Amino acid sequence: MSENLSRLLKEIAALEKEFDLRLPEATTASELEQLKNEFLGRKGKLQSLFALLGRAEADERPHLGAELNRLKELLTSRSEEAARSFQHRPKVISMFDPTLPAKYPSIGSLHPMLQVMDEIKQIFSGMGFRIEEGPEIESEYYNFTALNIPEYHPSRDMQDSFFLEGRQVLRTHTSPVQIRTMESQKPPVRMIAPGRCFRKDTPDATHSPTFHQVEGLVVDRGVSFADLKGIVLAFAQKIFDDKQVRVRFRPSFFPFTEPSAEYDFSCIFCKGKGCRFCKQSGWLEISGAGMVDPAVFGFVDYDPDLYSGYAFGMGVERIALLKYQINDIRILFENDLRFLEQF
Amino acid sequence: MKVTLSWLKEYVDITLSIQELAHTLTMSGLEVESVEEVARPFSGIVVSRILSCEPHPRADKLQVCQVDAGRGEPQRVVCGAPNARAGMLAPLALPGARLGELTVELREIRGLLSSGMLCSEVELGLTERGEGVMVLDECAKPGQDLNEWLGGTDYVIDIFITPNRPDCLSVIGLAREIAAATRVPLHIPAASIKTSAAGEAHGISVAIATPDLCPRYSGRALENIRIAPSPFWMAYRLHHAGMRAINNIVDITNYSMLENGHPLHAFDASRIEGRRILVRRAQAGERFTTLDGKEHQLEADTCLICDGARPVALAGIMGGLNSEVEAETRTLFLESAYFEPTGIRKSSKRLGISTESSKRFERGADPNGTLYALDRAASLIMELAGARPAGEAVDVYPAPIAPALIDLSLDHVNRLIGTELTAAEAERILTSLEIACGHTSTGSISCKVPTFRPDLTRPVDLIEEIARVYGFDRIPFARTVILDQSQTPNPRTAFQDEVRRLLADYGLRETLSLSLVSPQAAAPFLGEGCSLVELLNPLSTEWSVFRTSLLISLLQNAAYNRNRQMPNLRFFEIGSAAWKRGEAIEEKKQIAALLVGETGLPTWHSRPRRFDFYDIKGIALALLEALGLKGAVMGSAAGSFWACESAGLYLQGKFLGCFGRLDDELVQSFKIKTPDVFGLQLEFDTLYTLRPQVHRFEAIPRFPLVPFDIALLLDSDTPVGDVEDAIRKTGGEHLVSVHLFDFYQGEQVPQGKKSVAFSLNFCSKERTLGVEEVERAVATILAQLAGQFGAVLRQR
Repeated sequence: MSENLSRLLKEIAALEKEFDLRLPEATTASELEQLKNEFLGRKGKLQSLFALLGRAEADERPHLGAELNRLKELLTSRSEEAARSFQHRPKVISMFDPTLPAKYPSIGSLHPMLQVMDEIKQIFSGMGFRIEEGPEIESEYYNFTALNIPEYHPSRDMQDSFFLEGRQVLRTHTSPVQIRTMESQKPPVRMIAPGRCFRKDTPDATHSPTFHQVEGLVVDRGVSFADLKGIVLAFAQKIFDDKQVRVRFRPSFFPFTEPSAEYDFSCIFCKGKGCRFCKQSGWLEISGAGMVDPAVFGFVDYDPDLYSGYAFGMGVERIALLKYQINDIRILFENDLRFLEQF
Repeated sequence: MKVTLSWLKEYVDITLSIQELAHTLTMSGLEVESVEEVARPFSGIVVSRILSCEPHPRADKLQVCQVDAGRGEPQRVVCGAPNARAGMLAPLALPGARLGELTVELREIRGLLSSGMLCSEVELGLTERGEGVMVLDECAKPGQDLNEWLGGTDYVIDIFITPNRPDCLSVIGLAREIAAATRVPLHIPAASIKTSAAGEAHGISVAIATPDLCPRYSGRALENIRIAPSPFWMAYRLHHAGMRAINNIVDITNYSMLENGHPLHAFDASRIEGRRILVRRAQAGERFTTLDGKEHQLEADTCLICDGARPVALAGIMGGLNSEVEAETRTLFLESAYFEPTGIRKSSKRLGISTESSKRFERGADPNGTLYALDRAASLIMELAGARPAGEAVDVYPAPIAPALIDLSLDHVNRLIGTELTAAEAERILTSLEIACGHTSTGSISCKVPTFRPDLTRPVDLIEEIARVYGFDRIPFARTVILDQSQTPNPRTAFQDEVRRLLADYGLRETLSLSLVSPQAAAPFLGEGCSLVELLNPLSTEWSVFRTSLLISLLQNAAYNRNRQMPNLRFFEIGSAAWKRGEAIEEKKQIAALLVGETGLPTWHSRPRRFDFYDIKGIALALLEALGLKGAVMGSAAGSFWACESAGLYLQGKFLGCFGRLDDELVQSFKIKTPDVFGLQLEFDTLYTLRPQVHRFEAIPRFPLVPFDIALLLDSDTPVGDVEDAIRKTGGEHLVSVHLFDFYQGEQVPQGKKSVAFSLNFCSKERTLGVEEVERAVATILAQLAGQFGAVLRQR
């Protein structure tokens, strides 16, 4: 062994000892980082030993190189170990208070009623219905006449309407979209029309002059009332996520359907036993439905001998109020931040 | 339609409990809205017979009656009723009896002890009649408890009648439904009048000049009328049906109408001039005073009933003041006509008069029911007003209306409702509704629909009847729920939902507002040459026009919340706004966002700052970029509701919308007391139309970026955006990003100057760029900036 070699080996040992002495002095991550830099950095102490390798005898180089690499690994692993221990070290607890409030991201939200609308859209999209739209300001033709509600007929009084000049109205239902859709395509038709509607109702806990409806329409060969009952039942159980929900159809009258029905869901609160939500009846009134009146097909040039169809409506607010157990429809339109933040 | 259970029971045997009955009605399409027990707020009332009546010695208006209350000894009762007379039966409240809150006691009245009180119907809470003591019929026995005489508990059932069922605006119509649903027979009271030889002197001739409006007119004269109050049973039924008892003639016409649904009108025959009735159209502008004393100016389409000289009634709507029945009336002319529904509807709407009569005619009365209704009422008048028929009935019916004949195929029935009914079952149901069924040669059911069902004209109408009576509950739920996914989703609604999600992601809260606003709120947002969409019949001026901008809604929502100690707001809403351009209404879907106040409340780690132009700009650009709408350029904002810190956005030459600070005065008009209100309003359909159809991937650079920072000194009025654009334009193909990382205006730079610093990144797709190459590109940029803007490179 040359003198040079033994001197270098001593220096390696000394460096290791020095590192071991200095390591405990580093009590923070940045101090450790400094230490690492001093020993392992590009201009660090270990590097300067590596620089001496060139002056060593050629046959001693491999041995010396191995020693230096061993030291490098050693120092690296020790400093890593020390770094890990910092993460768990209770040393900085006096400065770190995990109970301080979080730094929240800025939080936005979708309106709860529209979330319910989205859910309804999703359920029907999943059943193969296409979403259709139409204008909120409608002609009397689409809102009434083509839906078999003639001008001088008491059925026009069933919906208190807002009228505009030029025989236009704020649509009282989204049913005009049915007509527009049937005008533009041939059967089969399978659509829902979600949207905003208007009726001249003074606002109170259950009425709003602006409200939202989803209207559904299916026209094809051989469509029956039993199909209508099936789809409404499937929807009822999905929207309330409850296989126990039952559906009841009662005869009623709408000019655009024949037979016409009102449909009710069994009360989701008392499971039909009777409670204050269902006024002890066990049933929640939802909306109307029925088989498309052949007169409506006449307006859109569909052959009533070939096709039959069903239509159903629903008030989205009504479902939202039930889902969230809200007792006043007006809160949906107030947009109070304390309300919006809950959804 | 309100009806008492006891009245219904006159036509149909009801064995169901009241709850079961209500359910049965509701489930057959006659929705029961309420059921109320008829109150009898009294006790201790007995039947008594007045034995004698003497004037009270010391009071002109009082009588002293001896009454038999079934207690052996007659009792003395002092009574103020004008109708008390010897021989009549009347309810007596004995001492201790209760009348509502009142307890009857032995009382001295003007010096005479009265051992009770003879009661009127209103005192007993039975009707609203209070003119005299209640008159009981001869079935009552002195001493009998009044409750017993009244019979068992009675109920008032309130039923919502849909406009297609005029037949159910009658007690018999409802009874028919109950009979059909419970499979029991219906009893209809007989009505036939035996007349003496036609007295020519009483003859009133009838002519119809408008058979289109009045297809049939029947009538009959009655003489020897004695106007008097109606008997209790009739007043009671009318009262609980919501009608006031007036006198026997008026009450009978109302009673008959409620019973069988056909409206009648009674004229004082002596006031019909010329002994003739003419049904004609009004002349435009003709004036007529109805029996409520109101004068109307008529339009030419109104159908009028006239006598030889003048109009005497608005056909089917209301009679005239000039011919109404009065206390002295001795002869009557009773009208039972059929008026065409649309004509009545038009007149009633135009005149603003809706009566029980017009309500029934406009929904459709029974043209073949006029004579039955006429004779039913006449026989009641004979029975209750001592009348005699004067001659035969007149009946002008130029073109009789025949029952509808409909062929119904059983297969159609079962296909449409999804059942497997037999012909026998279908026919049983139809027959129970008085629809006569036969068979056609092709195997269909031939149906003859009575004319009291004007709603049944087509096979599908009969199918509804079958389904309804069969029971919607018994129709199965089809299990084949549609799974066909062949339709493509609607891209426009999907786009809208994407925008909503993005804006929520940016920390905005979605609101949902009414579309109707006040003209004051809407006017500032109108464009050039546009006007407001006004409702003809608004609920109030506050909601009288369609919103002209979604920003109105957001400003109102902001004001609402700021009034409730929530000053800092981030809202968005998507919806329709509308205005008129000339005569045409334009309805446009808008995307709107609003930032108000500060970025938040102070926290332990940071102070909030006031929202500024660049916040709303960030939302606008982030949204456009997320939607793939790249390359939008800024121009000036359109609309006086923007303050000067605002901008418009354009893409491919199309106007996308505006954003920026809202005009201070406008903001104040919404009662918002901060100037820091920043809005964004975008045209939904323009964004939708310009949206890219496909989103292509851009390769991630494989070679290292070469960063290069430059700091420049610019004139204060040089727009930084222009400098940035110039850098991009001249930076060459390897310049991949330009980022402003420092901006300074103030003491550290010369007056009239500002300092900006950009960090540029260069990168090649093929190789690692050399420093010299980048330096050359930067030099080109700097030369351009120096020339174009006089920009000076700042040494750092």
